[in-house]
Amino acid sequence: MATLAESGEAAVREALAGRGLWLDVGSALVHLRSDSALLAAAVHDVYRHFPLQTQGDWADLHLQVRAHRRWFAPWRPQVRLVCDGSQPFEPFPADTPLPMFEWGANWLIGLRLHHRLLLHAGVLARNDRALVMPAVPGAGKSTLTAAMAHAGWRLLSDEFGALDMATGALWPLIKPPVMKNRSIEVLRQFAPQAVLGRVYLATRKGDVAHVAPPADAVAGRHRPAQPFAIVLPHWQEGAEARLEPVTPGLACSALAFNAFNYRVCGQAGFDVVARLAREVPAWQLTYGRLPEAIGLLDALHAQAAAAPGAGP
Amino acid sequence: MSRHVNRWPDLSWLQALQQPESALAWTLAEWDHRVRVARRLRLLGRLAESVLGAGLADRLPQPVAHALQAEARLAQARCQAMLWCRERACQALEGLDAPLVLLKGAAYMAQRLPNAAGRMPSDLDILVPAAALPEARRRLMDAGWEEVALDEHDQRYYREWSHELPPMRHALHAIELDVHHNILPPVARDRVDAAVLLRAARPLADADAAPWWVLGPEDQVLHCAAHLINDSEHRDRLRDLVDLQVLMASHGAAEAGFGERLVARAGQLGLTDALVLGAALVAEGLKAPLDPTLQQAVQRAMAQRRLATLQRRFATVLAPRDPEAEPGLGVRLAETALLVRHHWRRMPLPLLVRHTWHKVWAQRRAAEAEADTGDA
Repeated sequence: MATLAESGEAAVREALAGRGLWLDVGSALVHLRSDSALLAAAVHDVYRHFPLQTQGDWADLHLQVRAHRRWFAPWRPQVRLVCDGSQPFEPFPADTPLPMFEWGANWLIGLRLHHRLLLHAGVLARNDRALVMPAVPGAGKSTLTAAMAHAGWRLLSDEFGALDMATGALWPLIKPPVMKNRSIEVLRQFAPQAVLGRVYLATRKGDVAHVAPPADAVAGRHRPAQPFAIVLPHWQEGAEARLEPVTPGLACSALAFNAFNYRVCGQAGFDVVARLAREVPAWQLTYGRLPEAIGLLDALHAQAAAAPGAGP
Repeated sequence: MSRHVNRWPDLSWLQALQQPESALAWTLAEWDHRVRVARRLRLLGRLAESVLGAGLADRLPQPVAHALQAEARLAQARCQAMLWCRERACQALEGLDAPLVLLKGAAYMAQRLPNAAGRMPSDLDILVPAAALPEARRRLMDAGWEEVALDEHDQRYYREWSHELPPMRHALHAIELDVHHNILPPVARDRVDAAVLLRAARPLADADAAPWWVLGPEDQVLHCAAHLINDSEHRDRLRDLVDLQVLMASHGAAEAGFGERLVARAGQLGLTDALVLGAALVAEGLKAPLDPTLQQAVQRAMAQRRLATLQRRFATVLAPRDPEAEPGLGVRLAETALLVRHHWRRMPLPLLVRHTWHKVWAQRRAAEAEADTGDA
């Protein structure tokens, strides 16, 4: 099947305006319909490597993004998100349809996909062995995740680390990583080959731009990876990159308390997180510059791959 | 009659709640549609527990199995939160000189009725005699429950014109506790003597649920019907109709002569309209057979134009819509008519004027406050 980029923006717009577009992001199948040409352009850019699937019998999420004018303020058009016949959020300004779609889809994923524990974590793999980076706000997780996705690592997730409670494996759930404010320029300089969607200025979260998941990540979206390390990133202006060991207890709480559906998953969620923290070493990564940080993580992976019993 | 047949889509797939094997024949597209409708109706947890409980997970398309597992997990977490809240409330109320009666979902779960597994409780509803209410409230607050902050009007509303205390929250519990002293407001057109309900209440046989009680079986049915028919919101409330069907079928099968006693009890409590409307909608929408005595009562009642019109309005609002569609004009008009009826019957006119006036101003003040703080 041709990708969105190969099919062109007109084909994406036509699909969205018709029966819709089925975006297979790995752990979820998202059905999107929209009459917004701006959204079609944005989806075409950031989902460029996904196949253009214009028919489907099933979707985990059915979303519509619809243009909307209020009778008392017709000069300020909006977009609204409709899911299964109801509108879960207040509308966004009409020129920010992609943030509306991304935000709404993520919100629904967090509410629905309880068959896996949804860690709030960046997950990247090399040779199908995964590095898990639980999020702490402002720690630079998304920037580091997006940078690694363009430096030899396969992106499994930026937002949702979908942990299989039976096997302990991580499943891809590939949504475009969001760069905020300064990180937009930082990523452009680090990875000139990265494709970013347009920059949405002065949204609720400041200036934001979405990074197109690379082709290898999209191709591997149904291939799980077994974790080999937990890394808590901590960005610090000008800092020398260093890795310091973290106790399993701290790793466990960083994973559990940031998970979206930890309470819903109950004992199964606790068990799988405790197992992960016990079996996999955890580190704090302090860094100021991306290349140094990624150099340390590459070394960490090489070390784990060389260790006895590490598998293929 | 032929006019309302169109209002109801084919809901025969809901039989999968009782006969899970029937779902094995569904195509993936049918699953997609039904999962969406069921989720919106808060019946997906019940469907999931029914199908997974029968051990059919391996025979489902994988995305369907995942969606059902996810929903069953959510329902189990919510049910567990409810049971925990029930246990703590029980400890707080221990020694209170009054029966503690579970209502609605909590009662169905404690009796292990067929509509228990897969529920999505968002609150725990209990009933205590009005005389014991101040003491119950004090004990719950000592144990850490707090009433949501209310202005003077709302406090008075709950104290004098409502059948329950303001909803109570607890830092440890994800669900709200609603303490009732009656099943309907004391100022409503349909009002019920709570002492009569309490006299018919029964302790639960199940040792796990001790020392809780439940309403008598007839009163459970009548409460369910009155709750649906007299409530203010009816959109996506088909679940209440399904509950009504399960209650009538389960209690009817367990006790001979249930239908006659149900109709008689409705007359005694003044809830005949709610019962016949509820039963008529169950028969029409869910194509469920009714007890013969009840069926006769329904036929007699529906000869009245007033009730027949009401039934049509309820059918318009309760019939599930296509999941892609937002409600049309007909549905919204019927909703408005039912909302007006709800308020009209809930309180006398002077009170209604005052209450509405207050709500409008409170809403405006809240909107202004929000505008002041900005939407940061």
